[in-house]
Amino acid sequence: MTDTVPADLASTAEAHGKAVAAGDNKAVLADFLPDRIGQLIGSADVPAPLKGAQVRTITEAEPGQYDAIIRYTELDDHWFELRSRWVRFTDGSWRVAGVRNIPDTPPWMSLTGPSDDGLDAAHWEGLRAGTLLLQRCRRCATWVWSPRPICPACHSFDLTFEAVDPVGTIYSWTRTWQPFSEEATGHLPYVVVVVELPAAGARRVLGVLAHADGLTPRIGAAVRGVIEQPPDARYWPLVRWHLDPDSDVEAR
Amino acid sequence: MTGFRASTAVVGVGATDYYKRGTSPLSSAQLVLQAILRACDDAGADPRAIDGFVSYAGDSSEGLAIGAALGVHEVRWSTQVWGGGGGAVAAAVNCAAAAVHSGQARCVAVYRGLSEATDGRGAFNKGHMGHLYGAHGMLTPAQVCAMRTQRMLEVDGVPPSTLEAVALAGYHHAQNNPRAVAYGQPLDHDRYQGARLISEPLRLFDCSRENDGATAVLVVSSERVGDYKGAPAYILSGVQGANSGWTESVENENPYTSAGFHPALVKRLWDGAGITAADVDVAQVYENFTGPAVASMIDYGLCPPGPAAGEVLTVDNLTVERGRLPINTAGGNIAEGFVHGIGLVAEAVRQIRGGSPNPVAGADISLLIGGPMAPLVSSTVFGSAATI
Repeated sequence: MTDTVPADLASTAEAHGKAVAAGDNKAVLADFLPDRIGQLIGSADVPAPLKGAQVRTITEAEPGQYDAIIRYTELDDHWFELRSRWVRFTDGSWRVAGVRNIPDTPPWMSLTGPSDDGLDAAHWEGLRAGTLLLQRCRRCATWVWSPRPICPACHSFDLTFEAVDPVGTIYSWTRTWQPFSEEATGHLPYVVVVVELPAAGARRVLGVLAHADGLTPRIGAAVRGVIEQPPDARYWPLVRWHLDPDSDVEAR
Repeated sequence: MTGFRASTAVVGVGATDYYKRGTSPLSSAQLVLQAILRACDDAGADPRAIDGFVSYAGDSSEGLAIGAALGVHEVRWSTQVWGGGGGAVAAAVNCAAAAVHSGQARCVAVYRGLSEATDGRGAFNKGHMGHLYGAHGMLTPAQVCAMRTQRMLEVDGVPPSTLEAVALAGYHHAQNNPRAVAYGQPLDHDRYQGARLISEPLRLFDCSRENDGATAVLVVSSERVGDYKGAPAYILSGVQGANSGWTESVENENPYTSAGFHPALVKRLWDGAGITAADVDVAQVYENFTGPAVASMIDYGLCPPGPAAGEVLTVDNLTVERGRLPINTAGGNIAEGFVHGIGLVAEAVRQIRGGSPNPVAGADISLLIGGPMAPLVSSTVFGSAATI
C-alpha cells in the first residue's frame, strides 16, 4: 500500500471487505456506484459463507481512481481475491465502479458444441481431438467459414474439414463488462478477439483472449491459439488466444 | 427512377405508449392492434378495409391473427421479412409498398409489437447467434456491434466523438417528446462518458434497450391518398439486401466496418428516389448501437469516412434547428424507445406528414435507415407532395 492512498479510502475499503465477508448486502450495495449496481453484482463470483477479509493492496490506477485487492477467506481456509476500482462519488464518498475476480479466467458457456444444423459438428469434434478444423472445399480448395452447406465459390457439395495452424492476428476485439449471462459471472470483464488466420485464406474465428486483464489489445497483434479443455463434460474444448510475447500491447 | 417512385404513400401512423420492458398491460397482439387502430384513426381509415399485413424480425403476431381480430373483410397479403433485430424494418415498409404497387393489396398495415410477457427476453436475438458465438461469451448483438465499431475506430480512424454525438442528438430531441423514455432525462458529455461500459467501446448510452410497445403505419396507393386524412408521406424509394457473403458468418462479413449498406444498394436507393445524399433533409438512423449508426451514415455518404467523419457528426450538426443533418428527431431507439426500430418509421413519416416533436422546417426528403450491421439491411426514402 502506498502512502499516497487517501486515508478515508483505506478505511472504506477495509469496511467494505468486512461487509462482504459478513454477507451484509445492504452495506455492500451502498458502496457501489448507484448507476451500475446490477452490473457489479453480476460481475464478481463471491462464494458464501466467508470468514474473513483482508485488504492486500490499494494502488492508484488512474488519477483519482484506485484499485483495491481484497482477499476473502472461506470457512475451509480457501481464499480468493477480488480487485475493485474505487472512485469519488458526487457526495464525496468512495464508491466501487468496477470489480472482478483475479486472476482472470475465461468463461465457459452452455451455448457450445455442434449447432442444430450440424454444419459445424466436425469443427467441435476436431477440438476434442486437439485440432482446430475449419471447412474447406475439396474441389476448389476455398476455405469456407462460417460453415456452409455447399462451397460458395464453386458450388461443390464435396466439403471437408482441414486442420489449421492456430496462428494469426487480431482483426478486432471487445472487452465485455455487462453480465449478459450468469455463466459470465466471475470472469467479467473478458476480452473476445476475432482472429484472422493466414493459413485458412484469411478467414476469421472468434475466441477469448487469455490473460487480457490489464492489457489493451491492438488490432494487428500476433496471437496463437491454444485448445483449452473444459472444466467438465457439459462443455466442449475451445481455442483460447494468447498474445505473442513480442506483440504490440499496451498496459491499461 | 421507376414506376415505383411515389406510387404508394403512408397515410396513417399509430403507436402505443412505450413501456419499460415487461410492464405492458397489453399482450403483444393487443399492442399491435392498438397501434393499428390508432393508425386508422390518424388516417380516417376503416380498420376492416385493411387487406394486408407486414412485419419483420419474428413478430409473434401473425398477419391473419391480427386481421381476424380486426374483423377485416379479407386478407390479401400477409408477409414477414426474414432477419433478426431491425435490419428489415424499412424492408417491411418496402414490402407493403410493393404489394400495393403491384395490386396485390390496397391498404397494408406495417407493424411491429413487443411485450416481454408475450415474447420473452431478448426477442432481438431469437434464433440468431449460434454456438460459434455463444461458446466464446459472445451472447448479444451489443458485443458483435462493439467489435465492428472497435475496428471502425481503431483502423478506420473514425473519432469516438461521433458515437457520443449520435447518443446526445437522440437525447436532445427526446426532451421535446413526452412519449420518449428519456423525456426529462437530458444527456450531456459527462453523463455519457461517466456511464458504465457495456462492451468496449460501447457504453450504456450507446446501446438501445428493448421496450414493450407497438407502432403501425398504413400504406396505400398514391391514387387513393385523397380518401384519407392528412398529408401523405410518399414512398419514393426502398431497398433491402445484403452484400456478397453477408449472413450470420461469425464475423467474416466484408467490408467488416461497413454497416452493410454496400455501394450498389445505396445507389439503388438514391437512383430510385431520384436524389443524392445531399438532398436528405432529415434522417432516422437506426441505432441499435451508436457505432453501427455512424457506420451507416458513412455507407450512405451522409458523412465522410475516417477521421473526417468527426467534423460532420457533431451534436450541433445532428440536431434540429442547428444542424444540416438532423437525425432521430423523436429521440431514436436509444432515447425515444426501442421496439426494433418501428418507431423510426413513424418519425420518418411524421417529418413529412406532420406530428413530429421536432419538425424540420420545410422537410421534403425524409430518410429511414434500418438496422445497421445486421446481416439484412434496408432503407426507405419518404417524400412530400413537393417531390412528385
